[in-house]
Amino acid sequence: MKTGALKVQRIETSDSTITEEVTGEPEEKVLTPKQKHRRHVIKQSTIFVIVMLAYPVAQFLLMWVGVNINSILLAFQKPVQGKLQFVGWDDLFYNFKVLFLSFGESSTQRMFAVSAGYIVVSCFVTLPIALIFSYFIFKKIMAAGFFKAIFYLPSVIPLVALTLVYSLFFNVNGPGYYLFGDNVANFFTGSSAQWMVYIFCVWAGIGYDVILITSGMARIPRDILEQCKMDGTPGIVEFVRIIIPLTWSTITTLFILGMMSMFNVYLQPYFLTSGQYGTMTIGLEIYQESGGSGLNTPATLGLFCSLIGAPVILLVRWGMNKCFKDAEF
Amino acid sequence: MKFNKILSVASLMCVFALTTPVLAGCGSSRSDSDAIYICVYDGGYGTAWIESLAEQYSELTGVRVVAEADESILDRIEDAVSHGSDYDIYMSHDINWQAYAAQGWLEPLDDIYETEVEGTGKTFAERNLEQNLEYSRTTGDDGQEHYYKVCYTQGCGGIVYNIDMFEKYGWEVPTTYEELTELCKTIVDANIIDDDRNVLVPFTWSGTDRQYYWDYIVFEWWAQLAGVDKVEAICRYYGPEDVNNYDPNDLDALTNVYNGYELYNPDTYYKEFIEAYSLWYDLIAEHPEYSTSGAQGYNLMSAQSEFVNQRAAMIPYAQWAKYEISSVAEDGEIPFNIGFMNTPTAPNAKEEGPFNYLVGYGDSMIIPSNAYNVEGAKDFLLFMATYDACYTFVDKAEGAFLAFDYSDVDISGLTETDTYTKSVYDKLTQSTSFTVASTNPITVWTSNKVMPWVNNDYYYALALSNNANDKASAAPAAVGAKMYADANAGWQGWCMSAGL
Repeated sequence: MKTGALKVQRIETSDSTITEEVTGEPEEKVLTPKQKHRRHVIKQSTIFVIVMLAYPVAQFLLMWVGVNINSILLAFQKPVQGKLQFVGWDDLFYNFKVLFLSFGESSTQRMFAVSAGYIVVSCFVTLPIALIFSYFIFKKIMAAGFFKAIFYLPSVIPLVALTLVYSLFFNVNGPGYYLFGDNVANFFTGSSAQWMVYIFCVWAGIGYDVILITSGMARIPRDILEQCKMDGTPGIVEFVRIIIPLTWSTITTLFILGMMSMFNVYLQPYFLTSGQYGTMTIGLEIYQESGGSGLNTPATLGLFCSLIGAPVILLVRWGMNKCFKDAEF
Repeated sequence: MKFNKILSVASLMCVFALTTPVLAGCGSSRSDSDAIYICVYDGGYGTAWIESLAEQYSELTGVRVVAEADESILDRIEDAVSHGSDYDIYMSHDINWQAYAAQGWLEPLDDIYETEVEGTGKTFAERNLEQNLEYSRTTGDDGQEHYYKVCYTQGCGGIVYNIDMFEKYGWEVPTTYEELTELCKTIVDANIIDDDRNVLVPFTWSGTDRQYYWDYIVFEWWAQLAGVDKVEAICRYYGPEDVNNYDPNDLDALTNVYNGYELYNPDTYYKEFIEAYSLWYDLIAEHPEYSTSGAQGYNLMSAQSEFVNQRAAMIPYAQWAKYEISSVAEDGEIPFNIGFMNTPTAPNAKEEGPFNYLVGYGDSMIIPSNAYNVEGAKDFLLFMATYDACYTFVDKAEGAFLAFDYSDVDISGLTETDTYTKSVYDKLTQSTSFTVASTNPITVWTSNKVMPWVNNDYYYALALSNNANDKASAAPAAVGAKMYADANAGWQGWCMSAGL
């Protein structure tokens, strides 16, 4: 393809200013072989970029934009003659009224309480334990690599296998029987069931946190640590005054993820107790309700949780970011 | 110039991204247009029966049948029937067929219900069990009522027992609740110890996976105490007009769906249900020695193993018992004869029965309206109602029965050689069958809320707990009060969820 360029004539006026005037027909530009080659490469790279980005963009459009828009629309629909239809402008918050009515049910109250418990489990139990273990691993205690692998193991094993191993351990025919006797039979029934799910989440969740925190710690400059050593700084002081502030961004991320567990933990109680004995979570309720016809109900619950959860999480993130100045190293 | 280029690349990318899945969807075509594709829930019936039926049908018609078993079918079925189905027939439990029909996603089956089934001299409707017809019809997207499903199996549940063991020790099969209690005491008192020093107990059961298998006995006691009409009337979940003044025996007055929660009143409508649960509680929860130690913490496989290893004489189960229990047995075969007993008659039974609770009666066979081979699928469903197909199902599914009338099907070849099949057949043909399935919109539009156990909360495992508080919360009076309170608190919201 030939391309042209316009002639530009420089005109010097009497007051010494220079103006440019475009004159004449476009001049045909002849491309050198090098330019041609470059254009060819650009064309090829454009196709490459399109092909590479098409799938993630499609994924994003369908699985995020599409799904979320559909979910929001579902929250404003109700069954009419067997079909989900728009609730109407005069009763726009129909499904939210239903949701607020469900707050009067003891099962719903417990579900919210149990789900909130996962914030405590993730942020105030799992995360501190992971921090301490990460520090030990970072300080290269004996067999640190082995412990690192052991901690990470639960994160690479499928959850269904992990829950199976866990429940079989505490089965009446499992090893747990020799530790706890006949009591193991009651571990997954009744009031102890929720504690068993929480304990599982701590056990299975530490590894993920440890990996991220140790990666964060690994970035801390050696100079700082050597200085601490030379000053004779005690380990606990080093941990609190140096390590935690310098890994604060990782800790913040994990804390935020932990807060989100209130809404997204569902497979753990599903595999361990099927949501029985008061172990139902918001995530599991949405998952189970989504298997039925009334998709408006889980969509409304999801939207409500997003509206409540998102500002709270953003606020906590803002607050946590204020705690320590982000250190560049 | 640069901006334009970026814009054009972005536009191209979006067009490509948006059209890719659409084009991918258009690509589903079949090389064999006559073939029938069937997806079966991979559950307790195995796959031998569908493979065998597919083969028989192909021999008969020359049409290829491709059958696949999938245990994750329910996760994908709605998407499949609404947007483009790979299969012509789906067979599974828990299909939301009423909702699909209302959206126009299912093929109406009125024509096949009027068609004569080859070799039987009966129409497809006549080959169905009478109660199937009511539960197979619903309102479609045209506002008219049509048949949209075919009932899949006719369930049978209750107590499965080790026939050889009973004969060996001279135990009589109990016919009354008192006899069952006496039998349990006899077994425990006999103190029979095997080579591994395990003491034989009356029952083994799974408290973690399958505690609801006890429903199959408790529901039959409920039917005996309340009568089948009352059970089925309650399970329609329409309450009395006036919750402050009603006669709990006047079932015709149950017309007000907004008062449906009153049906869970343990002093009136639900009294017999709580009594039935009390019978179970007195037998099992009050006598932990009647169950394998720690049964409340057993998974299904542990319970099956205990039964196969003859450490328990009885196990609560449903029609898939033989197929499933065989899977844990050495060589895949149970080393003794098993069979269902009729549920022993409850004290003060209003109707003695025998009754048969139709386990899994909500199971369905459906044809998506967008299926590739609708006519072929219909023909296959007609074939399933033939005597030969019905026989094959029982044979290959190890004693389970399709939801067709077996009174004209000669299965003597199976019942004479297999005690289990005979016991299922006897229970199905000599009992009054009933179901707790409901067509109430609340049950369609809410999940696991309105059912015999409110909110799908079970108490069997809890009742056997060593924890005093847990055990107390599973006592019949506490359970009755809790269910009534939960139903009362949730009913208005459940009605609204169903658009009522």
